[in-house]
Amino acid sequence: MTNTEIRPVRPEPTRTRKTRHTRKASESTTTTARTRGARLLAVLFLAPAVVGIVVFTVVPIVGSVVLSLFQWDVIEDPRWAGVANYRGVLTDSTVLVSFRNTLVFMVLAVALQLLIALMLAIAVNGRMPTWLRSVFRSAFFFPLVLSAASISVVMKYLFNQDFGPVNWLLGTVGIPSVPWLTSENGAMSAVVLAYVWQQFGFSFLLFVGGLNNIPKEVHEAASLDGASGVRKHLAITLPLLSPTLLVASVVGIINALQVFEQPYVLTAGGPGDSTRTVVMVIYETAFEQLRFGEASAVGVLLFVLIMAVTALQFRLSRRYVHYQ
Amino acid sequence: MTDSFLSRRTLMRYGAYGAGAAALAGVASGWDRLTAADIPGRDDGSLVIATLGSAFNPEAQRALRDGFREVHPDIKIRINPVQAYDWSDFFSKILTQIAAGTAPDLVYVATEGVQLFARRLGVPLDEWAKRDAAELRAYFADVHPSLVESMMYEGSLYQLPVEFNAADMYLNNRVLERAGADLPDDDWTRDDFTALLRTMKRSNGARFTPYFWTNRLWGGVVPWLFANGTNLLAESKAPGGDWLWNSFYPEAERRGRGGGYRWTTPQADSDRVAEVYDYLASLIQEDLCTRPEGGDGRNLVGVFSTGRVGVTPAGGFWAGGLHQAGMKPTDYDVRYFPRRRTRRHQFGAAGYALLRTSKMRDEAWEFIKYTVRKDVMTQLFAANQTTPARRSMVDEARYQETGPAHWQVFYDTLDKIPTTGPIPAPPQVNEVEQLLIKHTGTALASPGAVRPALRRLQGDLEKAMEREV
Repeated sequence: MTNTEIRPVRPEPTRTRKTRHTRKASESTTTTARTRGARLLAVLFLAPAVVGIVVFTVVPIVGSVVLSLFQWDVIEDPRWAGVANYRGVLTDSTVLVSFRNTLVFMVLAVALQLLIALMLAIAVNGRMPTWLRSVFRSAFFFPLVLSAASISVVMKYLFNQDFGPVNWLLGTVGIPSVPWLTSENGAMSAVVLAYVWQQFGFSFLLFVGGLNNIPKEVHEAASLDGASGVRKHLAITLPLLSPTLLVASVVGIINALQVFEQPYVLTAGGPGDSTRTVVMVIYETAFEQLRFGEASAVGVLLFVLIMAVTALQFRLSRRYVHYQ
Repeated sequence: MTDSFLSRRTLMRYGAYGAGAAALAGVASGWDRLTAADIPGRDDGSLVIATLGSAFNPEAQRALRDGFREVHPDIKIRINPVQAYDWSDFFSKILTQIAAGTAPDLVYVATEGVQLFARRLGVPLDEWAKRDAAELRAYFADVHPSLVESMMYEGSLYQLPVEFNAADMYLNNRVLERAGADLPDDDWTRDDFTALLRTMKRSNGARFTPYFWTNRLWGGVVPWLFANGTNLLAESKAPGGDWLWNSFYPEAERRGRGGGYRWTTPQADSDRVAEVYDYLASLIQEDLCTRPEGGDGRNLVGVFSTGRVGVTPAGGFWAGGLHQAGMKPTDYDVRYFPRRRTRRHQFGAAGYALLRTSKMRDEAWEFIKYTVRKDVMTQLFAANQTTPARRSMVDEARYQETGPAHWQVFYDTLDKIPTTGPIPAPPQVNEVEQLLIKHTGTALASPGAVRPALRRLQGDLEKAMEREV
């Protein structure tokens, strides 16, 4: 035995245990620091969006709800009104008519907008030179970037019963002049047409994207099975496009329920109240009649309506929307 | 299990958040409301004047500002032209500025808003007018008392009229020529008017509409109501105002004057009002006039100047517009509004109102006085975009370039028809105008709809007038 051999050996396990503990502790500290760093970074990245949402969405919503419980004319201090504003607006015939008009408008405008957008998207997705496809895509999207108020001013001239080019064109084929803006049905039709003409570009763009995501093989297989064009669209295109349809309809309905510029400029809500929409009533009640509390109450009711319709859409989507 | 309990540290953290939020809320509620005026640089001590954007062109605004600075170099002014669709839209924007805490000192207000501003926001000018009576004598001598009275509310003067427009009748001479008709007499009646429209219709094509009108408070149904000896709201005069009439007007012109107009009880379902609507409905049925269309009639200059419309109600403001559209002075002319039971005409006037929130009231009064000087008004209204409130400015030289030949009609509507008065504009004017436009549209949208629509108009007006403004 050498000295070396008899030299007491350091208790290895103890050392090992100590090192493990130290490493564990150091690893844990590093992980916590990293996690904290990552969290801080996430908070920093999210902060602008969160601040934006809080300042421009949450605060105005809460503010509207609070204001709807007061009487306020801008000039003097608000006075507590409780639910009196809600009682008032729910028995006001103009408000009730405006909700009916808005719902009618929403059904007509969204249905027409989706139908036109879908048909044009399918047509543009067919066989044609790439440059021509680009031209169509740009042309259909272009109205969306224009000002709704400017378009409505032009539309007002186009639809003028006595001097408008639309009636002039109809007259050339023997159709008598239509009171587009001065009869109840004509006015709603003109507002819907002006709105759809401008808005369908957004749904069109969504549908073009959705159609491109449908595998060509599915259509080819259906063709081999002898399916006609219409059958293929009904049995393949529509089900596979249903998620896009859901998005387009949700956005379309929310926008349509908030329509303002077209009826305000084209018909000023008339004749009578036939094209007066909820947002018009909010504007008129608040800024023309200085009844900000009642206007806020109408705004809150519209908010609830939009939330309810959107929730219903998502509920129905579980049954009718197919995800690949 | 333990996760459902808050740790001490978490509890303390949330406690600190809560305390912070409470402290912030406490500080915020203890402070005065922050307004847009608190933004650094917003309140530079200038006298701020809000004008309807389209009332004066940029050159006129510059001349107004620079001219005032020359006279009052010690007063800084800022002219804020507010772009708006019509007067109602303009008032909405001014009220938004007031809500934001950036109220102007002076606002250019038309008859539509005189009483609304006077009642809620305005400062009476009585004391200043009395103090500077000597300086103002020449102005009042040149301005018809009806214009001044339309700027009074409950015995006090709130504005000095700068401009006005009465609803007279413009006729397209080329259309008259095609129809082989002469310019009607000064004293023409509603029957003469109807006969003229029929003649015009016969001699012009299918794309021609003899009479065009805009559905609004000024120049819509109201001039027909005045001509039929009625009004939308019962009209009376407030007591008071003697101090003004005795100081500035001779005996003959003082008679019957009061402290401003009062429009109170709605009378939309009266027989005389219904008669006017029946008449307009009959014109529509005969295809002699346009259906009621809301708005400001911005298409009208185009269709009138191109001969697609023969007759339309307008004021002196149209002379400049038609001239700009390329019409020669001989291409059109103007006549009084056709009489029925009376020859009473309607007008609207405008001037500067001083707001209660202003801290520069004396400076504002200096500006008001400056704007009614003849040399200043001459500079402002060089383009004939309105009728100046000063009689001496409505002369041959002014209309030589633009026409019309019978320009005297503009001021004679006041001077020769003393019953001429302002459009009905109580403090509830915004709602009143909105209801008028709405129910007029319904009344004339289909045959047989007149009386039910007027009954609804009456009911809604009663509710609106009961509302405290």
